[in-house]
Amino acid sequence: MPHFFSNKRLIILLVSIIILVALIGFSMKKRESLTLPEQFLKDSAGLTQTIFYKPANTLAGFFENLAEMKQLYKENQMLKARLDEYAKLYVQYEEAKKTNETLKAQLDKEEDLTDFKVREATVIGRSPDQWNQFIYINKGEKDGIKPKMAVISPQGFIGKVTNVSLFQSTVQLISDNDRTNRFSAIVQGEKNIFGTIEGYDAKKQALVFKKIPVDAKIKKGQKVITSGLGDVFPPNLLIGEVIDIEPDEVGLTQTAYLKPSADLYDIDHVMVLEREMPAVDESLREKEEE
Amino acid sequence: MKKVFLPFLIYLAFISESSLVQAFLPQDNSMDWQLVPRFSMVLILFVAIYVNTTYGLLYGLAFGLLTDLLYTDIIGVYLFSMAATAYITSIFSRYLFGNLIVTLLLSVVGVSILEFFVYGLNSLIGISTQMLDVFLYKRLLPTLILNGFFAILIYYPFVKQLNQIKDTLKEN
Repeated sequence: MPHFFSNKRLIILLVSIIILVALIGFSMKKRESLTLPEQFLKDSAGLTQTIFYKPANTLAGFFENLAEMKQLYKENQMLKARLDEYAKLYVQYEEAKKTNETLKAQLDKEEDLTDFKVREATVIGRSPDQWNQFIYINKGEKDGIKPKMAVISPQGFIGKVTNVSLFQSTVQLISDNDRTNRFSAIVQGEKNIFGTIEGYDAKKQALVFKKIPVDAKIKKGQKVITSGLGDVFPPNLLIGEVIDIEPDEVGLTQTAYLKPSADLYDIDHVMVLEREMPAVDESLREKEEE
Repeated sequence: MKKVFLPFLIYLAFISESSLVQAFLPQDNSMDWQLVPRFSMVLILFVAIYVNTTYGLLYGLAFGLLTDLLYTDIIGVYLFSMAATAYITSIFSRYLFGNLIVTLLLSVVGVSILEFFVYGLNSLIGISTQMLDVFLYKRLLPTLILNGFFAILIYYPFVKQLNQIKDTLKEN
């Protein structure tokens, strides 16, 4: 190919590589808010996606139903057995709730760290290349959604809102391997064991739970929940279950692998949580200043 | 009407990628495959092959930028990859005679060039942590089959439209 690399084309190629590197460098900085043209683009794409997702979902749902019908009988049997258990648990729950309320009333405590406001949203799309784990939901700034809010599905914690435009917002799933995608979490047990969730291991198909102290004893099957530290996410959201533990390369900490409790692929409806009370009370801060 | 037809069609394909992955991915995930629809890229490759290089390059740039802004966090990866893919494929097509088999081959080659570009760049930045062999078997192969089917499906109706567009370009 004689004309493939003439001088002029070589220069254009080099210049475009420089521009590419500059653009990547610019956009790797974590930006809090989107620029106006970006917001406009996202909103208009979101609008088209809303038109698309309904028929696509109906079609997918039809096939899913066909597959599910085979298992219905078995599932029904199992659920019936669980129903008795549920009745027992419900009575216990009501009782505990009542005691909790009376105790709270005695203490004059109205707000709680675990309180949060819930907003429902529908998933209208997903990042098609599966390197980036983003989903798009049909609620945006006008519904009061702000960046960094926690997002859960009925089965558990799935991620956080990264950026918001007027009518739609982007949710980064916990399985995204971005280096800023970190979550503080606790292993539930007699003593709370802290660590951070840092991305997804594609080979093990599990979340990577790092920075666990080396002397902490963790068993397989223990549940991992959000810690609620750091003012951003509400505590006690279920993330997953420990399936494997190993010491890290240096041997100073341990790494556990978690099976996410929520299905990170089959997500239709999500809930966006807003924490009602910040971890550090403003009034407390004022008192300290006095 | 004729002027908006092509961008509108590619835009529809572009949006449908996201909806398809959202709606149909759950079933495919159990097979442990990563099927990535690159429908807008296939359409742009057709434009690059059947209309001309400049058109392909421009559409590649435009939709690459859209992909970057809407579906990823980092600007530049798709902008560069899609434009370069459209350009390289249209250079290849000058040496080959356009029929169904050749076009299918070119779109498969094009999609794999794009996948390799994106994989390479994402590995550099640290977004993808997949090993090369896993990438080849679990991601590239299923993706090529899916997009190959799409290319066969649209070949006859789309090429007819493209030839008409090329004729009107010549007349002007």
